Amino acid sequence: MSSKEREPAQILQGTLDLIVMRTLETMGPQHAYQIATRLEQVSDQLLSLNQGTLYPALVRLEQYGWIAGAWGRTENNREAKFYELTRAGRKALAKETERWRTMAALVERFLAEEA
Amino acid sequence: MAAWARRLWARLRGLFGGGRSDAERAREIASHLALLEEEFRAKGLSEEEAHRQARLKLGNATVIREEVRQMSGVPFMENLWRDVAYALRQIRKSPAFAATAIVTLALGVGVNTAVFSVVNGLLLSSLHIRQESRVVTVGFKQKGTSWISNFSFAEFRDLRDQTKDVFSDVFAEQYGLDGLSVQGSQPERVFTGYVSGNYFEALGVRPLLGRFFLPSEGKTPGADPVMVLSYAYWKRYFGGDPNVIGRHVSLDGHPMTIIGVAPRSYKGVVTLLAVQAYLPLAMVVPVENIPQDIWNKRANRNMYVYARLAPGASAQKADAALAVLAHRFASEHPKSEKDAELRGFPLYLARTGNLDARNSIAVVSAFFLGLTGLVLLLACVNVANLLMVRATVRQREMVIRSALGAQRSRLVRQMLTESILLALFGGVGGIGLGMLGSTMLRSVNLQTDLPLYFDFGFDWHVFLFSVGTALLAGALVGLLPAMRVARANLNVILREGSRTVVSGGGRFRDALVVVQVGSALVLLIVAGLFCRSLVKLEHVNLGFNPSHVLAMTTDPSEIGYNDAQSGDFYQSLLTRLRALPGVESATTSGSIPMGVIDNTSDSVTVSGYQLPPGQVAPQIPYTVISTGYFRTMQIPLIEGRSFRNSDDDKSPYVAIVSEAMAKKFWPHEDAIGRTFTAGRDAAHPLQVVGVARDARYQDIDGPIAPYFYLPYLQHYQQNSLESLELRTAGDPDAVIPEIEGAIHRMAPALPIFEVKTMHQALYTPNGLLLYQVVAVMTGIMGILGLALAVIGVYGVLSYVVSRRVGEIGVRMALGAQRADILRMVYRQGLWIVGIGLVLGLGASLAVGHLLRSMIAVSATDPLTYIAVSAILMAIALLACYVPARRAMRVDPMQALRVE
Repeated sequence: MSSKEREPAQILQGTLDLIVMRTLETMGPQHAYQIATRLEQVSDQLLSLNQGTLYPALVRLEQYGWIAGAWGRTENNREAKFYELTRAGRKALAKETERWRTMAALVERFLAEEA
Repeated sequence: MAAWARRLWARLRGLFGGGRSDAERAREIASHLALLEEEFRAKGLSEEEAHRQARLKLGNATVIREEVRQMSGVPFMENLWRDVAYALRQIRKSPAFAATAIVTLALGVGVNTAVFSVVNGLLLSSLHIRQESRVVTVGFKQKGTSWISNFSFAEFRDLRDQTKDVFSDVFAEQYGLDGLSVQGSQPERVFTGYVSGNYFEALGVRPLLGRFFLPSEGKTPGADPVMVLSYAYWKRYFGGDPNVIGRHVSLDGHPMTIIGVAPRSYKGVVTLLAVQAYLPLAMVVPVENIPQDIWNKRANRNMYVYARLAPGASAQKADAALAVLAHRFASEHPKSEKDAELRGFPLYLARTGNLDARNSIAVVSAFFLGLTGLVLLLACVNVANLLMVRATVRQREMVIRSALGAQRSRLVRQMLTESILLALFGGVGGIGLGMLGSTMLRSVNLQTDLPLYFDFGFDWHVFLFSVGTALLAGALVGLLPAMRVARANLNVILREGSRTVVSGGGRFRDALVVVQVGSALVLLIVAGLFCRSLVKLEHVNLGFNPSHVLAMTTDPSEIGYNDAQSGDFYQSLLTRLRALPGVESATTSGSIPMGVIDNTSDSVTVSGYQLPPGQVAPQIPYTVISTGYFRTMQIPLIEGRSFRNSDDDKSPYVAIVSEAMAKKFWPHEDAIGRTFTAGRDAAHPLQVVGVARDARYQDIDGPIAPYFYLPYLQHYQQNSLESLELRTAGDPDAVIPEIEGAIHRMAPALPIFEVKTMHQALYTPNGLLLYQVVAVMTGIMGILGLALAVIGVYGVLSYVVSRRVGEIGVRMALGAQRADILRMVYRQGLWIVGIGLVLGLGASLAVGHLLRSMIAVSATDPLTYIAVSAILMAIALLACYVPARRAMRVDPMQALRVE
């Protein structure tokens, strides 16, 4: 396979949590499949991951108390577990977003200087 | 709630509700898969293809669930539980292996526990006083003497009054043996502590019942006839009667009132002797008939002085203040305190009454713990070897599990769990064995009626020590095989099967057994040195003849006799005893050889004898004896005469000196007719009337110290406690009833104690007892070490033979003779044993050098070294024989077929 440039982007440690939370904030309650699909759409297929990798992030966020899951029905009347941001989750998301921006700007500044 | 706390809570919940959440997760993933399949079907894929694609897209569901499971719940604890369950299964599956390992470790831990419980009882267990580390015992030293912990009353007063800026309390305790009688009953002998009024207050001990002494009590002789009972004594002799407060008793005939009972936990500062009753310090004057001038004498040092550091004062500051005071002592009282030094010592040194660090029990304890550590090491090596063999056998299992995705760290942890579990079982067994051992040690007959108190109980110190030892052993024995698993090359093992795994670690195992052989040799040589010391000392020429001599001790002051009455009592008692059939001669003496009571010494000044510069008059031990002593003990007189009945307080004061003393003071002249003075009574110079052959009184080993004898009739004051010695025609035990009868006809209420033959009397802590106990203990450790090392040698060779069966088969098929095979196995065994012996001999010489002050034979005693090495060699080679024979009997055909 000569697909060096098409290699999907590696997800930075910890960023998946942020992405999941952001998705839930914009889209409202979602189940895992929806979150994964949304992730692929937004990233333009660049972030193509095994959808199972979402689960550890979901468990972690649930343990932090930042998201809460509840069983519900999809439009096609299938059962699925819907996740929703909690109040603590919203606060944490704001904080994490802020932190991510600072971090990204900082890294960007270094990269610019290198060039 | 912080995020981490919430997460921990979620995990803990997961730990207990793990099953439910796992099922829910499975349901969620199933629904996810269904949604994915729907998507692919919508894209026009076949049912089958959609199913496949959905699973590809999701990833391995089992792995996801495993990962999530690791996150929910506390993985460490969960894994631990799983490891423990697995290890228990493994142990159950091979009971013989497990039993061997557990018993071996139990022996190792047990020996350590038993010895540690003794050390703990002697030095470490809590005294149950307030801030133990802030209390020091004050030591006193003059040029040419060693540190002592005794002071006179005048010195105690000065210490108390002149160190107020560094010590918040200075308190004193003096010991006595007295007769306690309740309402005219036969007196019971009690071990008494005469303490300063601030004693309990300063220690921070509160009374269980009644009250303790007031600061004002204990200053004026005879002013405060009050008494506090120890808990144990109160329980034993007063049945724990709560109405004991206010009861009137008599102590050596002096009326006393019981005012309090000490708490159960407090057992005194000197833990070896259990004080049974406490009295105010100055009460010792009337009770023990101490003349006023002796009580006030600065050089009459009988009391222990303790001090509590003032808040904020450091030990260094206290020592500086004591140094200043010592200087003042020396300049103000040059007669009694010339070149005095003062220093505070940690309290644990006072417990055994010896401040001299070089010979202190602390050093001996450390030495013994070192030996037991060696035994534990031997045990650990054996179990580690066993585990390594098992690890090799189970290597394929481990490799397969590793290939299936088990992390190596998990495998290592699992093996460690198994070995630590084994060690814990061994530890439990070891604690049991240790309790047994310490009970045995506690019940060693100390040959004395004194309330010697060995508290080798199991407190949390001992418990923690045992558990710690067991865990350490577990980690030690588990780490080696576990590390091998961690390092093993999976591919090689999987490809080549089990055969090629032989070589790895063989060298290392050999090295371990070398260490075992060396350690066992050290243990055996130490045991050998002590046994030889005991045998030598049992046959040492004591200077007197202990056979057919009976000894017993009485103290008429315990029934209220004054000194003159006691003197008359002994005189007429001796007359009656000498008339008894079967008694050849009878006498009394202040102390008996190797005895623990009343070993007195005094500073001796000889006119014309030049002291070495800067030194104070030497302290020379002596005893006060009745006529007939030398005949009874069969100590020959070299010169002069023995004491006569005419040597009484109306005639000139006389003394008999030992040969060593005559040589010391009058090396080139006749000692007879010379005079010297003893510090106790400087007004009466003593004229030497005889020189006696040297006899051993306090040191069963080493050079014989100078000694002198004084006649009872001139020194009956303050000497009511006397030992009776009788030489009998037949068995000394047979005349005991008659002699006790004779005593009780004269004084029906008089307690008689320490009744024993002179042979028995030699086995005291001062005499042979310690050698005997140490010889037995080191002997047990030596035999244990030998057994463990032999098992080690046997084990490693058996293993090697079993792994080389194929090779041996090939050799035999190629024409090797049985003798060649035997030689091959033996060569390896010889190497291991030989190197072990050489290393062990080197280590033994070093250890022997450390021991030289404790043993009575040379630290390089050739007989011990040669004999022990030969025995170890012979037994080790015998252990090689079994595997060697197995190697010889290998059937080449069968061995090759297995190949």
